[in-house]
Amino acid sequence: MSNLNLTLSLTLNHPSVQSVIEIAKEVIDNNNVLDTELLYNLTKRRLKLPRKGLLSIIQFLINKKVLVEGSKYTRDEVLENKYRFNLYRFLTFNLGVHFSTIKKQIVTDSSGNLGSSGQLIWHLEMLIKFNYIKKIKIKNYTVFLPYEIDDEIGLIHFVLRDEIYLKIIQLLISNETLKKSEVHKLVNEKREIIYYRLNNLIEFTIIELSGDNNTLIINSQKKDDIISIIKMYPQNKSQINKLTYNNE
Amino acid sequence: MVLNWTPEVIVDFIVAISGFVLTIITYIKPKTKKITTLIYIRLAILGFSIFLFIDGLSLLYVSKVLSIISGFTLIPLTLSLVIGITYILKENFYSLGFVIVIGLSILFIYIGFQPNAVDIQIQGGYIRLPWTGLFNDIGIILIAISEAYMLYWGIKTLKNAPFLIKKEAYLFFLGIFFASVVAMVFYILYLIDPYYILMSNFALLIGLLIVTLSAIIEPKLLYILPFTVYRIVVKDREGYPLFDHDWSKSEISENIFTGFINAIQLMSEEIMNMGGLLDINLKDGILILHESENISVGLITSKSSKLLRYSVANFTLDFENKFEKILKEGNKDMREYESAHELIEKYFSNFPSRIISHKRKPLLLTEKILKLPLTLDTALKTIFKDEKEYDFIKSEIYRTPESTAAGFISLYNELKKEFDDIDNEYEKN
Repeated sequence: MSNLNLTLSLTLNHPSVQSVIEIAKEVIDNNNVLDTELLYNLTKRRLKLPRKGLLSIIQFLINKKVLVEGSKYTRDEVLENKYRFNLYRFLTFNLGVHFSTIKKQIVTDSSGNLGSSGQLIWHLEMLIKFNYIKKIKIKNYTVFLPYEIDDEIGLIHFVLRDEIYLKIIQLLISNETLKKSEVHKLVNEKREIIYYRLNNLIEFTIIELSGDNNTLIINSQKKDDIISIIKMYPQNKSQINKLTYNNE
Repeated sequence: MVLNWTPEVIVDFIVAISGFVLTIITYIKPKTKKITTLIYIRLAILGFSIFLFIDGLSLLYVSKVLSIISGFTLIPLTLSLVIGITYILKENFYSLGFVIVIGLSILFIYIGFQPNAVDIQIQGGYIRLPWTGLFNDIGIILIAISEAYMLYWGIKTLKNAPFLIKKEAYLFFLGIFFASVVAMVFYILYLIDPYYILMSNFALLIGLLIVTLSAIIEPKLLYILPFTVYRIVVKDREGYPLFDHDWSKSEISENIFTGFINAIQLMSEEIMNMGGLLDINLKDGILILHESENISVGLITSKSSKLLRYSVANFTLDFENKFEKILKEGNKDMREYESAHELIEKYFSNFPSRIISHKRKPLLLTEKILKLPLTLDTALKTIFKDEKEYDFIKSEIYRTPESTAAGFISLYNELKKEFDDIDNEYEKN
């Protein structure tokens, strides 16, 4: 160890280099912040290498990109990843989208390729972890919302993304009340499809049944929110635009 | 003849010998000898040693002629130092300091030949030969200029010294501080009381010893130039990377760097006719390119310099010779060219590495080296079939809070189930 003509003989397999890597691993595994000073001090104490030789090893590891400058993510740094940034932007501009929609819309590279589900879920998890977004469960769907958006508002957005839900609600806004049994005729859809949705809307407390259990009205407390959200969307069209994102 | 042995004579000789040793060290230690800056600084150290040596002799033999000659040696000393340090800054000799020293030197020589330039006196119980009148004044100014330049050199070295040799740079600066500031303060006091010349010489001795010691420990200190060398890359004629080495982080992106090298390779014949060397000014630095028969070498630096062009040209030549056989075979395995580090040492050992920007800068191990817990690793490998994607996620895991990976696996399972359920639902519908 004493005779370390390191600049000429250093390789990754050099026993001293391996020992330094092991110590660096140990520091990281213990969730400590690794820096040159800490690595130097620990290694010096344990391996008793001469100062210059030790610094040469650390320098060699940096040069070989075995050690890279960086630390645990801070909240700000999380969005430095372009994929993540674009995903967050997508969720911000497309409130109430659920996972399968995101998966169909998010494009990972300039050639228009859809990335793997794993990658998308990883970035979603990262955004959740650092409180950029949250997930809410609506029926079978997992909906991702910016962290600051109220769950109720998220729910309304989710509902209004469905054309049939949207038609029902627009009818209720213009007519104030509707007979439950007549909605399917007005929307021109099968009765069971409409009933399923009406039940959901009742469950979501977006609409209510009046006294006779057959008349539907919009929840007055949510009406204003619903109207303003509808106004935000282009008329009766799918609200999601496919965006091309570069995965970098 | 009785020799006039005084404490000043002894100190003069000791300091002179230290100076000679330092001169030899600055010649022997560096691997690249022909560095203009160092030649002048070495000359200055030699001139300083000769000055003190002749000054010691003049006292020893009580010789006015030797005392005047010692005075004259201040001229090459000061000039070398001024030129050397100016050269460090702009690879050019000319500066205001240079003109002032030349003007003063002419006057100094003229006055030196006038009677009574040196006197013989008893000071502090010893025979001394103090310079007198204008000869003394100009001598002091020349010494002051040398000290000022030396201090400037010390500050510049300390400021530009990278983290890896910062400790030695502080030691070096301490030596310079003693040899310039402390010695000069005592020299000024000497004008009041001759006793202080001893202190001044002692300060010089201590300073010089410290400078010598730090230069022995870290010869790179003598080459700390005010520009940064970032990176060198060697590519073969088809553009495959064969070797690279980083000294410092560069602002120039990898794409621009590679793009330029590739572009140059396309017009290599024209470049070859131009002598094979080309400087390209980029926004964040200079790209020095050298094209030879089998390879293209690109060096990124903060500014161009004759020294760097010389180093790149010779590095290229040696690289060609060293790996001639495998280059001709078209071997593209970078491991085969790893021993080119020897050539980096040979031609670029003067340029200190700044790859560790700060001792407290956080570091991470790359994903290739790190090992995840077996269960997590297996789960990730099932999810990420693509190796690149797997490596990316692995590198992310080490930068995230502890529970992120577990959270990811659970979210993945949840969403996968949801995705399957929704698919089934659609199929049913």
